[in-house]
Amino acid sequence: MKVIRLSFLGMLAYLRRDMMLFAACLAPILVGFLFRFVIPLFEDVLTDWFHLPTIISPYYGLIDILFAMLSPAMFCFVSAMVTLEENDEKTAKYLFITPLTKLGYFVSRFGIPSIFALLVTVVLLPVFKLSPLSFSYIVLLAAGGTLQGIVIALLILTLSSNKLEGMAVTKLSTLIMFGAAIPFFIKDNAQYVLFPLPSFWIGKAVFESSPLYMFLAVLLLSIWILFLMKNFCKKNRGVY
Amino acid sequence: MRLGSLLLWDIRFQRKYGFYFLYAVLTAIYAFILFAVPENWKEKTAAILIFSDPAAMGLFFMGAIILLEKSQHTPCAFAVSPVRETEYIIAKVSSLCAISFIVAAILALIANMNNLHIVLLGTVLSSAVFTLLSVIAATKIASLNQFILWTVPIEVVCFVPAMLHLFKITPTWLRYYPINVCMEMVSGYAPPIIGILGVMTLIAVLLVLSKKSVLKMWESTGGVKL
Repeated sequence: MKVIRLSFLGMLAYLRRDMMLFAACLAPILVGFLFRFVIPLFEDVLTDWFHLPTIISPYYGLIDILFAMLSPAMFCFVSAMVTLEENDEKTAKYLFITPLTKLGYFVSRFGIPSIFALLVTVVLLPVFKLSPLSFSYIVLLAAGGTLQGIVIALLILTLSSNKLEGMAVTKLSTLIMFGAAIPFFIKDNAQYVLFPLPSFWIGKAVFESSPLYMFLAVLLLSIWILFLMKNFCKKNRGVY
Repeated sequence: MRLGSLLLWDIRFQRKYGFYFLYAVLTAIYAFILFAVPENWKEKTAAILIFSDPAAMGLFFMGAIILLEKSQHTPCAFAVSPVRETEYIIAKVSSLCAISFIVAAILALIANMNNLHIVLLGTVLSSAVFTLLSVIAATKIASLNQFILWTVPIEVVCFVPAMLHLFKITPTWLRYYPINVCMEMVSGYAPPIIGILGVMTLIAVLLVLSKKSVLKMWESTGGVKL
């Protein structure tokens, strides 16, 4: 446990040098303020300007989902970038043969940041939410967002073998978050084309206020994680 | 000749690392979005998509490109070869512009945008500006996370005025802001001549600055000052 903690602290020190630690901690708060205070203001201005009863407010639930996904996606993305650099510089391999071990390395790089992201979301979402969400719903959303962050990190690590490919995959993998918008915009059965995307079910759970869809999203995310972990281990046999 | 070889090398490099595949997938996704949005939203949506992604792709990828080259010790080879920094930069800008140009052409055709030639010229100019800015940032960084942080202020300064300008929420004088001129062109509108001159001047200034940055990077390659 001590070596995992030291490895995690080592990553934090590395991120602190880059100012990324500061940015990763500050960004959820800044975005939270923007969502909570600027968007309703913008809604008032727009509805007055266009003489319409609502413009953005029907999508407040979607904004809450995006906020729940933000911290985990950011923390896991930052960790994935550090891991890609360590892979490129071949330092990861050397860490595996220390008492840290392979498992300890991944716990320090993804396990601890994910738990931290979950806690940050559970604390910040009740403060910055725009739609009426119960606490149990907030916990479910935070869990879904965290698992999705892990999926994004695993996609980056599985589909890329260096930092450049990692950036390309990042661009594609973050698009899976936008499945959450589908139930808000496509009302007919065509929306089910995107059923393999867990974010689609998260969007549906909030749009239809049905927690059952949230459990489906968590189940789907777990399947994605198992599948990606299997592929990741297969691809990197001998490397990791 | 040297420029041609560098350009070819950059194109091969981008193909090898999946840029063409990535942008094929992204173009399909963007095309789907353009088909899904109502007819009267298409032009503006296409302009936003073109300006924020294919035109600005350098802002996303240049850090990784230069860091990967550093980890493969390519700058060491450039530092002792007859390649000039201008050739290196022009090859990078042209290869990324080529992808931006193709993606923008497809999206503009799908959205049935007016003045396709202006849209494409605007895309090439925007791509040159963003790529040069990202070359300057990328030569100064040591990690991907650092590059991402460096690009945040660039994105704020470039995207916020451009988006406001697209929706006509900016004062008239901001029409001459070079980035807004690019946005206007990407939307299919002919910009004022003075605006075009402003963009060309900006590109020239950025080229000089990026040349200095690349030279500095090559001179200090390998951890020692050459």
